[in-house]
Amino acid sequence: MGVDINNSGPLIRIDEVSKIYHHGRPDEVCALQNISLEILQGEVVALTGPSGSGKSTLLSLIGCMSRPTQGTIYLGERRVSRLPEAFLARIRRESYGFVFQQYHLLRDVSVLDNLMFPLYPAAMPVKTMRERALVLLDSFSLTDKQKTRVRQLSGGEQQRVALARALMADPPIIIADEPTAHLDAGLTAELLTMLTELHAEGRTIIIATHDPVVYQSSLITRTVALRHGKLVDDEKVGAGQ
Amino acid sequence: MLNFKLLEYSLSSLWRRKEKNLALVVVYALVIATLGSVLLLTHALKTEAVMTLTASPEIVVQRMLGGRHELIPIDYAQTIAEFPGVGKVTPRVWGYYYDSLVKANLTLVGLAGYHEQLELLAGRFPQAPDEGVIGAGVADAFGPQIGDLLVLEDSSKRRTEFHVSGIFRSQSNLLTNDLVVLQEGALRDFFGIPDGFATDLTVQVFNPREIDTIARKIAYFLPDSRPITRDELLHTYDSLFNWRSGMMLAVFMSALMAFLILAWDRATGISAEEKREIGILKALGWETSHILGAKLREALLISLTAFIVGLLLAWLHVFVLGAPVLMPLLKGWSVLFPTFDLPRVIDLYQLAILGFVTIVPYLACTLIPAWKAASSDPDDVMRG
Amino acid sequence: MILHPGILALLFGSTLILLMLLVAGGVALRIVRYWNADSGSATQLQLERQTWLVSTLLKYAFGFQIISVLLFLFTLEEIHPLFVGAMCATGSLNANLVGWLVLLVKIALVFAAAVWLAINYLDQRTEDTPLVRLKYRLLLLLIPVVGLDLWLQWEYFSGLRPQMITSCCGSLFSAEGEGVISTLAGLPIEQAMPLFFIVVTLYAVVLLANLRWRFVALRHLLFVAAVLLFFVSLAALVSFLSLYIYQMPSHQCPFDMLQGHYYYIGYPIYAGLFMATLFAMLPGLCRPLATTSSLERELECCEPMWLRLALFGLILFLLSSCWQMLFGPLRLLGY
Repeated sequence: MGVDINNSGPLIRIDEVSKIYHHGRPDEVCALQNISLEILQGEVVALTGPSGSGKSTLLSLIGCMSRPTQGTIYLGERRVSRLPEAFLARIRRESYGFVFQQYHLLRDVSVLDNLMFPLYPAAMPVKTMRERALVLLDSFSLTDKQKTRVRQLSGGEQQRVALARALMADPPIIIADEPTAHLDAGLTAELLTMLTELHAEGRTIIIATHDPVVYQSSLITRTVALRHGKLVDDEKVGAGQ
Repeated sequence: MLNFKLLEYSLSSLWRRKEKNLALVVVYALVIATLGSVLLLTHALKTEAVMTLTASPEIVVQRMLGGRHELIPIDYAQTIAEFPGVGKVTPRVWGYYYDSLVKANLTLVGLAGYHEQLELLAGRFPQAPDEGVIGAGVADAFGPQIGDLLVLEDSSKRRTEFHVSGIFRSQSNLLTNDLVVLQEGALRDFFGIPDGFATDLTVQVFNPREIDTIARKIAYFLPDSRPITRDELLHTYDSLFNWRSGMMLAVFMSALMAFLILAWDRATGISAEEKREIGILKALGWETSHILGAKLREALLISLTAFIVGLLLAWLHVFVLGAPVLMPLLKGWSVLFPTFDLPRVIDLYQLAILGFVTIVPYLACTLIPAWKAASSDPDDVMRG
Repeated sequence: MILHPGILALLFGSTLILLMLLVAGGVALRIVRYWNADSGSATQLQLERQTWLVSTLLKYAFGFQIISVLLFLFTLEEIHPLFVGAMCATGSLNANLVGWLVLLVKIALVFAAAVWLAINYLDQRTEDTPLVRLKYRLLLLLIPVVGLDLWLQWEYFSGLRPQMITSCCGSLFSAEGEGVISTLAGLPIEQAMPLFFIVVTLYAVVLLANLRWRFVALRHLLFVAAVLLFFVSLAALVSFLSLYIYQMPSHQCPFDMLQGHYYYIGYPIYAGLFMATLFAMLPGLCRPLATTSSLERELECCEPMWLRLALFGLILFLLSSCWQMLFGPLRLLGY
């Protein structure tokens, strides 16, 4: 029961969406205000803006991690903005690959288990899961590290594990939240290369970033700028596909 | 399939926090061992008492005078023996003896009707007025062995010496532990019981269905007598042991409560690392119910491990060590505690109770904390 | 009152179950009042998460309740020597007026909790959870019954006096007694046996028809057949199946078969009967609830599984209860 990705309409449609934290209380925070946005399949979107502009909130809404206070979100044909959490979780594990700031790996768990644990609730048999994980680890040249605990890996290796994990379910959409925030120039370049490859495979990529190296790179086909929870700029850049 | 994967995750999660979980299992197992000891011990004692009583006569007849137990004339035995269905009627002469030095109660019994049921550990039954056979507990408390002297003070405070001619062994130690068997004549002299009277009468009844009828007949024809049937004694013992183990259980339930509070505390205060892990898994597509399921499986694994360990501990404590901690609390109708081998019976029912009172509340107590841990926001990881 | 470990455990367990349901009831009250599936508010999110707590609480309470029924029967078996004339669990139940009532309430609770969990399962599989309010109103109705269970148990155990003379199953279930159960036991076997087999056949035919066709009327018919099967089977167990199980022409106790002495044959018998009744009742019960297309879709998904489970239950029940009748040496008919 994943998401039907058809080429006719937009992949993700966000319609008049607002997100208000602590709604109706004195400490009410309006993180997003009346955002409307359509993302097409195959786009690489950079969400830019200073911290506190609502990038992460928008990303979590797009990534089905939370639900908007107002407005509607469609993923393909499916209205996801009012789905119960259990259904959202299912969409997350079947249609999305996530790469977080600081990787967010399970530090005391082996590399292989880091790839497999997130998919345990899925219907996939463990055997298939392991085979897929080994193929991915091989393509990220991590095969010899599969039994190593993440804690003992270098930053570059952790980054590759995080990316491999995002690809476990072969998701059509990759969501990355400030993926280069803690990386040096070398690792950033490496990450961009890897993302370019994923894009070439036909995946849609959405990156929240305030790193110019990322949003000015040739990979990005569209930048969306946010200020104070409002959409201030939306431009197509590069060749686009 | 899904459950197996989640179980694997739970095992891995427990293993990664093994120090903390081990401490929990140890405390939990100790609580279970305490409760388990109570149940196993009372059950064993009950079994033992029932075994003892099965060997005892179908009816014991006492004489009541002014509401008090009085010596019974031996010619009553004739009257009773004439009822149809009655087998042998045996007058018994026996009494209690309190030794102020050892501070122990002994049961002194005249040699008649008893030796058929009892087995001697060593030696022979008394053949002279100054010979006696003693129970293993008496031998331990007073120190004499076969051939030694047992010194007791009789009803007129005279020192009387008996040669120990044998020591008892019995399938059930409760019966013979505090026993001293003398020749009947010697015992009459010792206590000053006149001839023609006995302490009570034992009545053998062939058909168990007739026991109640015969008891009623005895009471009717000998109005000053009080017949006590074996079943009545069994009921009394049963209630006594149930009451005792119930009391103990109630007391130790409070220990369980204390432990549960600890468990609650532990389950609520999950570590930062564990919280982070849950957050990551939720962000990546675990549902609240999956995390909840995994946490509850952890709780179940902990309870089952602790249950098995606790049960083993209880078994060792009661059957190998002889329940040194509980024995003084549970028994206590006799000062001489038999150091006997308890019958090693484990009853499924006792296990069911133990499981029910220890595992069920633990699981119930981990439910809410597990749910709290599981219901974090999936986008927590995004918000840092 | 007898201070018996088993009695303490039972009272303790029932208190715990009641506490769990009270927690669930608190959530239920809030959900009935504030649930709004169209709202994106934090309250709604919180309520949604609490539904998981409630369903888990109920699942556990259901499990505990099943164990508690068994423990109750075991305890009756254990304490029967305390009552003069009682020779098995039945004797203990007769020791006091509320005994049978406790058993009845406990069994009713097991069924009610199972039905609730089934409805909950169905509802949680849909995206719009249309049954939320109904579910939680039902849950609120369940709480007084759990309270009643605890109270009746207390009344029963505190009213027990050892040495009380009670009738055991031999005299209770013998034909001279009065009341429903002895009437059942007194049913002439020539009538009871055909009745039992007619009902079983009817049930089996309706069940198979349900597996083949999807008419709503068939589902309702199956519900009726399941209820019939339950009561007729219980009657049959007392009146003649027990005789075959014990291989004695006069022993009619429905509880002894749970003992190791009879190879625990009672467990598959009662588990099978429970499954055959519950899972055959569910389609008929849930049909009127399926008012939205999403529910109807999920129900279509669940029904074949339920019907197969019911069939499995029936086979288990028939195999374990009639085994001795077919192959045992005891022959009743023809005497």
